[in-house]
Amino acid sequence: MLEIKNITISYQDRPTVKDFSMSLKEGKIASLVGESGSGKTTVIRAVLGLLAGGGKVTEGDILFEGKSLLNNTPDQWRRLRGTDISMIFQDSGAMLNPIRKIGDVFVEYIRTHEDTNKKEAWRKGVEMLERMRLPGGDNIMRSYPFQLSGGMRQRVGIAMAMTFQPKLLLADEPTSALDVTTQAQIVRQMMELRDEYSTSIIVVTHNLGVAAYMSDWIVVMKDGRISDSGDRDAILHENQNAYTRKLLDAVPSLGGKRYV
Amino acid sequence: MFDEKDMILEARHVTRRFPASGGRELTACQDINLKFYRGKTLGLIGESGCGKSTFMRFLVRLDVPTEGEILFKGKDLTKLRGEELRQTRQHIQMVFQDPGGSFNPKMKIRDIICEPLMNFGRITASEKDAVARKFLDAVELPGEFAGRFPHNMSGGQRQRIAIARALALEPELIVMDEATCALDVSVQKTIIELVVRLQKEKNIAIGFIAHDLGLIQAFAHQIAVMYLGSIVEVLPGEDVEKACHPYTRALLRAVFDTKMDFTKKIESIDSEIPSPLDVPPGCPFQTRCEHCMERCRQVRPGLTELKPGHEVACHMFGREE
Repeated sequence: MLEIKNITISYQDRPTVKDFSMSLKEGKIASLVGESGSGKTTVIRAVLGLLAGGGKVTEGDILFEGKSLLNNTPDQWRRLRGTDISMIFQDSGAMLNPIRKIGDVFVEYIRTHEDTNKKEAWRKGVEMLERMRLPGGDNIMRSYPFQLSGGMRQRVGIAMAMTFQPKLLLADEPTSALDVTTQAQIVRQMMELRDEYSTSIIVVTHNLGVAAYMSDWIVVMKDGRISDSGDRDAILHENQNAYTRKLLDAVPSLGGKRYV
Repeated sequence: MFDEKDMILEARHVTRRFPASGGRELTACQDINLKFYRGKTLGLIGESGCGKSTFMRFLVRLDVPTEGEILFKGKDLTKLRGEELRQTRQHIQMVFQDPGGSFNPKMKIRDIICEPLMNFGRITASEKDAVARKFLDAVELPGEFAGRFPHNMSGGQRQRIAIARALALEPELIVMDEATCALDVSVQKTIIELVVRLQKEKNIAIGFIAHDLGLIQAFAHQIAVMYLGSIVEVLPGEDVEKACHPYTRALLRAVFDTKMDFTKKIESIDSEIPSPLDVPPGCPFQTRCEHCMERCRQVRPGLTELKPGHEVACHMFGREE
């Protein structure tokens, strides 16, 4: 469904991601793991054509359902983003306009992509929020972002991203700003989305535990290159790659190594 | 379970209330009793907003509790004033969550590390460079970093500098407020190893705040679990899997681990943490607890000792009075 072929991404002629390839089938979850600055976010931003600060894909190609995304016109992007491909950010609170109510933003978003009236869009928004287990959807639609907790805001972000049942969902560190209990809720909900709508998901995370639990396929990145990739079992067990083992070793685990 | 002779700080019945709008009160910490021992780490764990940072701030006297006392080697920290307070401060140091935000960006690393020493007149300006290099060496950084500015360094390196600064006065207690949560897992591991090594060398007591039970159990001697301002369970670090309180159990189930069983459905508490402005009477955890009984809605459970070093505040384990 999504195929990334040997792409090189450069910011101001300096290549940041080199020779990156991966492919993703429908209903599968892949994760990109690696340390800060390894280029994980750059890759998924490139898929959505949202490279910041003059970044450019200089080599290779990104195919979504067989069509190249690289030469899309702004109009084609507009039709794709938020409907077929959507994105969840690390902090959905920062994505929402702080001086507008959730409902206001949500209705505008729905009406941008669908020919419908305000009342219908509101109803759809409430329905999506409640599907994300946010009780009192009406109430949330009437709240400002700062009135919600971090976990609730993240669920609002996911509800928005899932409104049009995208074929591909890109999640940029969706749980790293959250508490462990909230993180578990969000991870579970994302996996339910996959089971319900067979959405393909790419998760960027530095938490190998989360990546291992969610994904079918794991890509380990280091310094802008793929350092290791494989299905979950191949990455976690019998792995020969020194860097992957180092990362795996660093994940604190229950009943694992104790230092004292 | 620890030697009482080694106890250096004891918090007794510490309560902190903040005034809130509409004449209401927000209880951030309620009747907290904890003890810190020389050479041991106390891990304080809980969700955001449960009051764990508020409590740790009392230890460094960045805030004072509304009620209760904090005894540092017999002296009540909450009552100290003036020069006596200033002299006491050198024994308790703090490492903050964001190492970038806790340094003056215009100061060089040399000056950052030596500032506490200069404040207490322990060294002269001419000794600064040598002393800074000594501490950089202790936190496994090259000596030439002394001439750098904080923005020239990575997050992990900055956190090492923060630790070096906290160590400079040879304190007896260091408070670390989520000192690793802004870092990558691999860097986090090296920082934890460093902290454990320094603790062994210098026999320091550490108070460590975290929200990841998997991390804290790897190096804490005792773990205190906090929920909505109350301590709900205190248990030895090596016994974390024997935790009893339903909230601790829920935290345990929420840990993602590379060695876990992936076919197992992840269980989590679905509801949100209630606002600390209206904590329900009775057990604070009642709204999210699957074992909630009638008694939990009326009577607030106190900490009951199950065995030495393991206390839990839950009616399922409490003795009938």
